[in-house]
Amino acid sequence: MNHWKLLTIPAFLLFFVGGCSDSGRFSQPIAYNHKKHIEEAGLGCFDCHTGAQTHQKASIPNIHFCKNCHEEAMTDSKEEEKLVGFIKKNELIPWVQVHRVPDHAYFSHRRHVSLGKIACQDCHGDVNNMTLPFTKPHVSINMEFCIRCHESKQVTTDCAACHR
Amino acid sequence: MKWGMVIDLQKCTGCGECAAACKLENNVAIVEPRESEMGRTMLWMDMLTIYEGEYPRLRVRQIPRPCMHCDHPPCTKVCPVRATYMNEEGIVAQIYPQCIGCRYCMAACPYTVKSFNWYKPSFPPGMDRATNPDVSVRPVGVVEKCTFCIHRLQMAKEQAKFEARDLREGDFQPACADSCPTGAIVFGDLENRDHQVNHLAHSPRAEKLLEDLGTEPKVIYLKEVD
Repeated sequence: MNHWKLLTIPAFLLFFVGGCSDSGRFSQPIAYNHKKHIEEAGLGCFDCHTGAQTHQKASIPNIHFCKNCHEEAMTDSKEEEKLVGFIKKNELIPWVQVHRVPDHAYFSHRRHVSLGKIACQDCHGDVNNMTLPFTKPHVSINMEFCIRCHESKQVTTDCAACHR
Repeated sequence: MKWGMVIDLQKCTGCGECAAACKLENNVAIVEPRESEMGRTMLWMDMLTIYEGEYPRLRVRQIPRPCMHCDHPPCTKVCPVRATYMNEEGIVAQIYPQCIGCRYCMAACPYTVKSFNWYKPSFPPGMDRATNPDVSVRPVGVVEKCTFCIHRLQMAKEQAKFEARDLREGDFQPACADSCPTGAIVFGDLENRDHQVNHLAHSPRAEKLLEDLGTEPKVIYLKEVD
């Protein structure tokens, strides 16, 4: 038997484990400071993520929303300068979506936030105290995470309630 | 609650609108002609060709055939990984990430409603960007079939709950029933007396496909009367 064949198994395992873990980090175009917006500007989650209570997608605000306050620079921050630049050029900020549910699962923010009364922090972590934007998901969005919560809250665990 | 469908063959003209609507709604892959000839066509709503009478009084007609969502489904009994099962509302669901592609269910289904993804789903240029975001595009190697547009049910239930009311008859309609130009396809709760399907299912014209197999289909045909 060729010895190299034996090597394929650990190599495959390494590849598999590496592929499944969400060690991937994202970098965001602007180092957005959640804490500052919440504490100093007095904003709440739903002021910017306007769809979270009423729609399937929470939505990530972009220049059309940000320019309500940031049409002109309010501080000396370099990050704000980038934002004003995007607004002046009328160019969309290429935010990277960090928390992503696979296509084959139906996830609705409205269902969880408005109907299920789940706090944003349960899935997204302590965003109120984040001074830097998300570079990786707070929790890995997988079925184990969903089912654990569904079981503890005694809501449906029927596969077809989410799978599509 | 038991979701079911009634197809009135008196009203059905065999136009195939339901089949087209289904294919678009559910991102059912388009298979090339060569593969189609090998019996790999993918259709959740097929049009069965029925020959009635003999020449010269031969009559050919087409009837729609979705998944029957049997009450005693043969497919779920053979699935080794519970990728297909019947839920509490009577929908025979297909869970794609669970499917290992063994195709036992395809062999077990007497109505041949299931399709296997032999290839990575592909769509003609222009259509690939126009897939329905509410339905996943299935990967290669899994079996798929009509789900009674369960994604619409998921959304309809949520909407009803958001408006603090019960699900109404018209809230959840699959794409085929929605699109039928003659209103031949009626969908609803077979156990709810307020729903039209409940009355139609007890019509003297009602019949089920391959009824003697004991699969108890929840798709009921109303035969034509002369």
